Amino acid sequence: MSDPSTKDSTTTKTPMVYICGECHSENEIRPRDPIRCRECGYRIMYKKRTKRLIVFDAR
Amino acid sequence: MGEYAELNKQKLKDVFNDPSLFNKPVKEVEEKWKLVPAFLKVKGLVKQHIDSFNYFINVEIKKIVEANSKVTCDADPLFYLKYINVYVGTPDVDEGFNISKAITPHECRLRDMTYSAPITVDIEYTRGNQRVSKTGLLIGRMPIMLRSSNCVLTNKSEYELAKMNECPLDPGGYFVVKGQEKVILIQEQLLKNRMIVEESKFGIQCQVTSSTHEKKSRTIVFVKGAKYFMAHNSFTDPIPVSIVFKALGLTSDQEICSYICPKDICKFAPTLEECHNLDIYTQEAALKYLGTKLVAKRFVTSASKYKTPTDEARDMLATTVLAHVPVKEYNFQTKAIYLALMVKRVIDAQNNKKAIDDRDYYGNKRLELAGSLLSLMFEDVFKRFNWDLKSIAEKTIPKIRASQFDVIKYMRSDLITNCLVFAISTGNWTIKRFRMERQGVTQVLSRLSYISALGMMTRINSQFEKTRKVSGPRSLQPSQWGMLCPSDTPEGEACGLVKNLALMTHITTEGDDYPLIRLATNTGVQDINLVGGEALQSPINYIVFLNGNILGVTKEYKYLLDSFRMWRRAGKISQYVSIYLNKSQRCIYISSDGGRLCRPYIIVKNGIPLVTSKHISDMEKGIGVIRSFEDFLHRGLIEFLDVNEENDSFIACYEHNITTQSTHLEIATFTLLGVCAGLIPYPHHNQSPRNTYQCAMGKQAMGTIGYNQRNRIDTLLYSLVYPQPPIVKTKTIEMTHFDKLPAGQNATVAVMSYSGYDIEDALIINKASIDRGFGRCLVYRNSKCFLKRYANLTFDRIQGPLLDPVSNKVIWKHNILDADGIVAPGELVTNRQVLVNKSVPVLSNVPGTSAGASNIDYKDVAVSYRNVEPSYVEKVMVSTNEDDSGLIKILLRQTRRPEIGDKFSSRHGQKGVVGLVVDQEDMPFNEYGICPDIIMNPHGFPSRMTVGKLIELLSGKAGLVEGKFHYGTAFGGSKVQDVSEELVKHGFNYQGKDMFYSGITGEPLEAYIYSGPVYYQKLKHMVQDKMHARARGPRAVLTRQPTEGRSRDGGLRLGEMERDCLIGYGASMMLVERLMVSSDQCEVDVCNNCGRLGYCGWCNSCKSSGHVSTITMPYACKLLLTELQAMNITARLTLTHYCQ
Repeated sequence: MSDPSTKDSTTTKTPMVYICGECHSENEIRPRDPIRCRECGYRIMYKKRTKRLIVFDAR
Repeated sequence: MGEYAELNKQKLKDVFNDPSLFNKPVKEVEEKWKLVPAFLKVKGLVKQHIDSFNYFINVEIKKIVEANSKVTCDADPLFYLKYINVYVGTPDVDEGFNISKAITPHECRLRDMTYSAPITVDIEYTRGNQRVSKTGLLIGRMPIMLRSSNCVLTNKSEYELAKMNECPLDPGGYFVVKGQEKVILIQEQLLKNRMIVEESKFGIQCQVTSSTHEKKSRTIVFVKGAKYFMAHNSFTDPIPVSIVFKALGLTSDQEICSYICPKDICKFAPTLEECHNLDIYTQEAALKYLGTKLVAKRFVTSASKYKTPTDEARDMLATTVLAHVPVKEYNFQTKAIYLALMVKRVIDAQNNKKAIDDRDYYGNKRLELAGSLLSLMFEDVFKRFNWDLKSIAEKTIPKIRASQFDVIKYMRSDLITNCLVFAISTGNWTIKRFRMERQGVTQVLSRLSYISALGMMTRINSQFEKTRKVSGPRSLQPSQWGMLCPSDTPEGEACGLVKNLALMTHITTEGDDYPLIRLATNTGVQDINLVGGEALQSPINYIVFLNGNILGVTKEYKYLLDSFRMWRRAGKISQYVSIYLNKSQRCIYISSDGGRLCRPYIIVKNGIPLVTSKHISDMEKGIGVIRSFEDFLHRGLIEFLDVNEENDSFIACYEHNITTQSTHLEIATFTLLGVCAGLIPYPHHNQSPRNTYQCAMGKQAMGTIGYNQRNRIDTLLYSLVYPQPPIVKTKTIEMTHFDKLPAGQNATVAVMSYSGYDIEDALIINKASIDRGFGRCLVYRNSKCFLKRYANLTFDRIQGPLLDPVSNKVIWKHNILDADGIVAPGELVTNRQVLVNKSVPVLSNVPGTSAGASNIDYKDVAVSYRNVEPSYVEKVMVSTNEDDSGLIKILLRQTRRPEIGDKFSSRHGQKGVVGLVVDQEDMPFNEYGICPDIIMNPHGFPSRMTVGKLIELLSGKAGLVEGKFHYGTAFGGSKVQDVSEELVKHGFNYQGKDMFYSGITGEPLEAYIYSGPVYYQKLKHMVQDKMHARARGPRAVLTRQPTEGRSRDGGLRLGEMERDCLIGYGASMMLVERLMVSSDQCEVDVCNNCGRLGYCGWCNSCKSSGHVSTITMPYACKLLLTELQAMNITARLTLTHYCQ
């Protein structure tokens, strides 16, 4: 919102890695790219787990 | 009924020389219940749905297309379009560029698509003067039922199913439409094309609802003032039957009487007189009379111009009145006989009230399944499709164009596709042909637990209005025995109207009747048109009906019955054909129609059941000729009986009940219960309503949904962290695989009182058990986000996390977002945090600017998390749906431990909430150191009489010490005596009581405590989802009163009855405080001069501030006054001072 145009360009530059739901291969997909696995053509992708530390409540 | 007995008596002597041998009790086949799993292996629990759908897509659809195969047009007599063939393919998805890929149901669920297959046709048509044929033309897409013949899941191994992310235990039988799982419920209705004699307003009437592919009509013969009339909705008035007979070609009174009833001729005389009064003696005169009584047609067609009323009446008699009776070339003979029989039935019922039929009798019901409902829908839309083509052809052909008229271009697939998808997804079944409009035909498959999904597949909905207070259709009918579950019905308004199938019930699909006609004629049935009226009346003749139509007359009815049964057992005619005798009517009914309830029985011949233990062991080992359930059918050892034929047989429940008369033997008694009631151990020891309660609660129990539950992204999914199969099982549990997908845990229960927190069914729970994972559950919820593209080349976009301009850190709301603006899996989400940072373009409809799409304004519409309790992100799915717009699904997870107020229940309708969580140190313990997980108050037992629960506890305890599962199967299961012996063997008390010590004082308790394991279900009702309190909060804009409901953080309502209490008590200030001060208090300026409302101390109508005073009133009152004023009604207020 503060600077949408630059933000947009940065996101298009940095692709995100998604995991294919069928063959589990990693796919780099940019925003607005068709969502489709390069290996098997499957159309369902899952996001990778966060790199951050998660603390669970042990109860 | 007696014919079997007589037959048997003859043969007995031949079979046994020594009559004493016959008196030996029939040896019981111990393992004959194993036929039930064999049945389920072949048939499955939802075979009815799948069979019906298979019949539709493989047979019925071809018949429908064939019946409507030709499209012609009035504009060009040479033009025609003819459908040669139709196919339903296998489910696929269009990948673009005419490439299609097979699709799995799970992918459809995830991507919100419809699991459907193309419907293709082969056609032949004219283009100009050419005749063109084309194959494989797509006309629409058919949603495919899971596990039907065209589904990708059929005949797949467990491994293959797992590859497709599908649970091998999932029954199928439902549709996936727009990502939702939809079930077409079984609809119950009164049977078609049969005579039903019943009592009406005027007296006795005989009614037939005819139903053919084209027409649906109702014909009634009734008696009024000693005369017999026929009523039909195409005639304005009831018509004396005699006139109808004359119109049908029976002109002589003698002939009419001979067909009706020579004995009761005096009864019919007044009706005949009617003809003479009206001077109707010929067929022509009668038709002319009928022509005057026709209901005026709403639409005048070109054909009606040439037709005289007489012709019209003749046509009506041929096609609409008793539409199901075939009329060939205006030969009304069969129809006349049918009508005469209807009159005769009325006369019979007048003489003998016993001849009146029971509408609630299950032989008089038919069940409509997915296949027949879809075929109605498809036929309707296919007709519309053809009609559209015809009208396009009529419009386009006369115009002169560069290219020739090619009808293929106008055959678009979306009409049929959309109609079918819309019908299934909304459940609105609108069929214009029959003026049928039904709501709620489909329901979303409930996936609370495996059992709830299974239970839904066996559910039967009846068409009766829920509001009517009638006991007939709601009460348990004796003919439901073995067909419908006596326990599984909801409480309240739908009680008895919504039913469930029993375990072994099968619903027939339509069968071919040509072989039946041949067989009947070969066994001596004479054509009805060849015999006179006298033959019909003669006491030795039996009228033979086939699917409601009169087939003929036979003298040798026993021979007919026996040969039909013989051929059926030999597998020469369909095993679902039923034949039965109605001796009082002297009729034999043969049925091969769809929708009859039927059930398999072991055949008994000469007092000996045909199935022996050898057969069963052969089947188990898989050796010899008999290996599956089908083999039993083919060998004639077992046969299916429908309700009507069941009523004509002598069926023994057990072997020791078999007499010389017995014709059949029950396979297993526990199959009279359904899937849900089958979970209950020892149901035969419980009070019946308790079993009904459990049937309702079993569907709310949390547990496992299926093997693929972790792959699903449902709107709401509950699952238990440590589910256990019950220690006390039933055979039904094993057959339904509940032990593989359980929903509950075996809790050690002590039946005793503990503190005061266990009154009114509350439970005391051991805190240590909770810590170990008792009743711990996972709640999954999803959050969806669509990314749309718009017509003006703009699209929804997702932005990365926003930075705080001061600190240059990501703002708190966006803390959990990844660089792509979507949450990362594994993150903890708290209230109001953003899951997807989506923004949509603001629609600026300035015509010229659409080209410069670069600077469009975007509005933030972030998908955020709204729940006080935080969740973890389990999974984030990114995909596209059918029309290629983006779809993001986020699965959120909460782990919950049981807390005070969570609802638990055993399997005996004994529900309770957690009243107190007690530390283990304070719990009672016995000398083994066993400490109960749950303490249950003994007051729950005396009034509820759930003895089954007591026995379950005992069997469970014995199972524990012995290390095995016990059975609590209905009408069987482990006996209390044996179980108690087992306990004693291991040094436990015979009665299951233990010595306990108080956890608080350490003293031995004064009484022995009945304790042991009981299977407990955690129900979906949890305090966390329900607790709600508010002091101040949001208000509704219009009334300024507090909002309503927990989801809107609403106020707690002081309702009418609470208000009445306060009024009754006279607590006026309390009333003012509750209804005004704490709700919508409002300061209003009132002018005492004109009585109207002013503002700011000024009265606008008097233009003065002299008499204006400020008072307090509810805003709702002020709103009413102003709204009244807006309608030109002025309410004037008069103010007086307090003290005056």
